[in-house]
Amino acid sequence: MSEHAAAAHAHPDFVTPADWPEDPQYGKATLGKLGMWIFLLSDALSFAGLLLAYGILRGGSTHWHNPGEPELGIPFTAGLTFLLICSSVTMVLGYAAAVENKRKQATLFLGLTALGGVLFLCGQAHEYHGLSQEGLHFGASAYASTFYVITSFHGFHVFTGVTYLTIITIATALGKFDNGNYNRIEVAGLFWHFVDLIWILVFTFVYLVPTQK
Amino acid sequence: MAHVNRKQYMVIFLVLFVLTILELAVVKMPAIGRTPMFIALIALAVSKAAFVGLYYMHLKHETRILKLTIAIPLCTPAVYALILIAEAAWRRLS
Repeated sequence: MSEHAAAAHAHPDFVTPADWPEDPQYGKATLGKLGMWIFLLSDALSFAGLLLAYGILRGGSTHWHNPGEPELGIPFTAGLTFLLICSSVTMVLGYAAAVENKRKQATLFLGLTALGGVLFLCGQAHEYHGLSQEGLHFGASAYASTFYVITSFHGFHVFTGVTYLTIITIATALGKFDNGNYNRIEVAGLFWHFVDLIWILVFTFVYLVPTQK
Repeated sequence: MAHVNRKQYMVIFLVLFVLTILELAVVKMPAIGRTPMFIALIALAVSKAAFVGLYYMHLKHETRILKLTIAIPLCTPAVYALILIAEAAWRRLS
């Protein structure tokens, strides 16, 4: 390992992604990025476990909805899906601004991304409220329980993402990521896009797959 | 070099939007059978997820070994799903 590379690994925060030493296998991917990817893989497998349980319960049941249990509202959740896609776009635009050393623009877009997450959580709270009033109660059926467990586990990720992005936005506004030091913004972006990616799958499997008539 | 391509980001946004509309269209389609609908929905969801991963998470620009590090573990739940859900459905039907 060269002296430069050794110094880089000793103080990863003080090396900009552009100066990150090239690894034969992982190229210019920073330690922070690799760490986040490994975390996301383990997180993806947690979601996979929940979705598998849901798939097995649903595939093996003769009737999925108990009498009186409401259908899930697809148009409203499609709106939430669109909201998350929009927040993914503001995330990449914030990242792009940070790479180009435009602090104000980066702060604005990162803040908008966090706001998108907050709106998503409000939407989810609204949805839960409506569904529980219509008679969808946790524990009453496999349908209700898997729905609440999977969507709230995702909602918890959105909440985590909003907290994470708020911290990153403040740090950006304070100029911590100026002059090419945008690595932590990119790593936060990975987490946020992952939350969007998981929602794409949850939306399909939990909401869109039609009930057996 | 960092990968910034605003135009491409917006194109991907448009693609994700159109694919979401397509998903809703597939669900509303009256004459489609359950199995084709299910396959179409999975194909749409997986392509949307792939677009997010490749372009927004920049996987497209990572090294081959990093792509494989991520892709291979993610294939295992799909295999489990195929076997275990098919088994559960088979029990129900038999």
